[in-house]
Amino acid sequence: MTIRRKLWISVLAALALLLPACSSAHSDRIVVGSKNFTESFILGELIAQEIEARTHLQVERRFYLAGSYICQQAILAGRIDVYPEYTGTALTAILKESASGGKSGDKQEVYRRVKSEYERRFGLTLTPAFGFNDTFAMEIRGEDARRSNIKTLSQAAAFARQWRAGFGYEFMERPDGYRGLAATYGLRFAEQPRIMDLGLLARALKDHQIDLAAGNATDGLIPALDLFVLEDDRHYFPPYEAVPVIRQQTVQRHPEVVQALAGLAGKISDEEMQRLNYAVDGQHRDVKEVVHEFLSSKGLVQ
Amino acid sequence: MQPEAASPVIEFWDVSYRVAGTQVLSGFNLKVRSGETLVLLGRSGSGKTTSLKLVNRLLTPTSGEIRVKGVSNAEGDVIRLRRSIGYVIQDVGLFPHFTVEKNIGLVPKIEGWPEDRVRARVLELLQMVGLAPDLASRKPHELSGGQRQRVGVARALAADPEILLMDEPFGALDPLTRDELQREFLLLQQRLHKTVLFVTHDLREALRLGSRIALMEAGRLVTVAEPREFLRSTDPSASAYVRAFGDGLESAANRGTS
Amino acid sequence: MNVFRFMWQNHGQVLELTLEHLRLVGFSALFAMLIGIPLGIAIAHRPRFNKPVLASANIIQTIPSLALFGFLLPVPWLGERADRLAILALTLYALLPIIRNTYTGIRGVDPAVVEAGRGMGLTESQLLFLVELPLALSVILSGVRVAVVISVGLATIAAAIGAGGLGEFIFRGLSMVDDRVILAGAIPAALLALLADFGVGWLERRLQPR
Repeated sequence: MTIRRKLWISVLAALALLLPACSSAHSDRIVVGSKNFTESFILGELIAQEIEARTHLQVERRFYLAGSYICQQAILAGRIDVYPEYTGTALTAILKESASGGKSGDKQEVYRRVKSEYERRFGLTLTPAFGFNDTFAMEIRGEDARRSNIKTLSQAAAFARQWRAGFGYEFMERPDGYRGLAATYGLRFAEQPRIMDLGLLARALKDHQIDLAAGNATDGLIPALDLFVLEDDRHYFPPYEAVPVIRQQTVQRHPEVVQALAGLAGKISDEEMQRLNYAVDGQHRDVKEVVHEFLSSKGLVQ
Repeated sequence: MQPEAASPVIEFWDVSYRVAGTQVLSGFNLKVRSGETLVLLGRSGSGKTTSLKLVNRLLTPTSGEIRVKGVSNAEGDVIRLRRSIGYVIQDVGLFPHFTVEKNIGLVPKIEGWPEDRVRARVLELLQMVGLAPDLASRKPHELSGGQRQRVGVARALAADPEILLMDEPFGALDPLTRDELQREFLLLQQRLHKTVLFVTHDLREALRLGSRIALMEAGRLVTVAEPREFLRSTDPSASAYVRAFGDGLESAANRGTS
Repeated sequence: MNVFRFMWQNHGQVLELTLEHLRLVGFSALFAMLIGIPLGIAIAHRPRFNKPVLASANIIQTIPSLALFGFLLPVPWLGERADRLAILALTLYALLPIIRNTYTGIRGVDPAVVEAGRGMGLTESQLLFLVELPLALSVILSGVRVAVVISVGLATIAAAIGAGGLGEFIFRGLSMVDDRVILAGAIPAALLALLADFGVGWLERRLQPR
């Protein structure tokens, strides 16, 4: 029956179309992902250029994935091989464990916990951290810090009565935000903290409208506006160490990648990350250039 | 009255059929003899088509029994039953996606006949129903109404069944073609001597083709008679039928051509 | 044009995302056919059930796709892998056209043909495979065509939950505020939909019983 034969031909043709889509193995290619904000983008490019410099592998970039969940799905499905994540985010958002303020502990401990859980549950692993902690940053003006010789939050608590604070909406609402912080450090301000748009906080601080703000530790504006980040000496905030997350399969197939990534371990301090962020966000420089410059300056690439 | 032939091929024993609150058939008793053409005559709604479908179990009786070749058709495999009976319907129902050859040869094929035997049989049947052999590769939509029904008959005869059920097979054809096919049916019957149960509302056709006519009305059998006797029947329903059909019926009853 | 230069420069990724897209659409279409066609045949033969089945498929279609993705995310096993979830959701959306067209196609077969077939002694499965399905095939395929074209479009939304495919270019392009990236996803997706429409349409015409 020719009709039946035609049917079989079309079924086989459809299946043939599915076949290449089935195998998603990257032979000599590493796919690097990143989330959709500047810092993640920079870290992704760092990973990509380092792999390109240190190995013979071809690197494909798949940046601007919209968030941790999307990146997690992509790496689990093998669509990306490696991407930069934060230990604190991995702990709370992906492993769904609590990291309530005060009990979050040691960054080594958090790193170890995330690494072992990722290996056990997802077939993923972490290479050593980049070296900076993009956690919540309590910022004051540089001049104030120097004048009163304040370095830590505990020290700052003494001055709180004379200060006005400004925070973003989320920081005010989160239980592990302002409330926990105030309790941990016994902070009491002159008035209720002002709730402002995140983008306006740094400006308001500079213009003396507020005296203390909550931002990100690696925000590029910190050095640019001469702001000072108070040390969280009581470890209230969980660590958000930036780390490369990589598939164990990729590690097995291309161990040279791990070596290349190890080269980045601890190479970026909080300040250096701030400067990199500012170069891209503030000075609108090309990310590839900024990253290349940085790597050369560190002798990680010629 | 004709002497009783050897055991009847189809028997209706007190058959009733009821559906959706309507009594379509009641207390139907009839025996169809081997080699005869028994015509079920009646108007629409008289139950004649229902009776036909009860033979090959397209319908199941509400009460009573139908026996085919002495065995109740409620026992045994219904598929085997149907394959041993030829079935021709008014709308023909040829498979539009099959050629004439495939249509005719379907039952032999699924019965496992070798291909060359099927082919030979198809050609034989085409010749038997008066169709040119080159029509074998045509599709039904390329044929005229008359040609299609000839294929329908050929298809029904393909596996050489003993019994033929025919439900107003020539009803949808124009009078000339109908006349032609009726004439050829008679010739075929003379040759093949199949046992035929033939449904029609047309008295002329019944007189011409039937060896006996069974008149049905409102689900009951009214009278059974040979054609010439039917014309002279004193039964009120029969004579009403005869009157309705007007003149020139004698020649039909004599198997004449019109 | 900028877009085409960008696509050429990144042709590896374009190809990969296209294959991912095809995988999502291909599997969901396959599953929808494996479930929908038998279901359509069943309700065509037992019209008593056609209302509940068709109504259920209709309700599923009414749910906005992104909302359906959202509902399924917390489900264990399913929610863990976005592509599983996406394939399930896409399968559900493809069901209605396939079930409905199978039902219509089978019921559209000339009853005289079915009666003749049954009277001749064809078994129910012979009737289905030799007569009903070949005659209904063209209509069934037209339902498959609609389902596939819908799937190609819906699969672009699946990228929002991390299932990959050409939608990823679109979402990334939106984040980056880069038209070329958006179009690098939108253009192939549109082309795929057109291709599916023409391809299955061609098959429909070739397989018409006449």
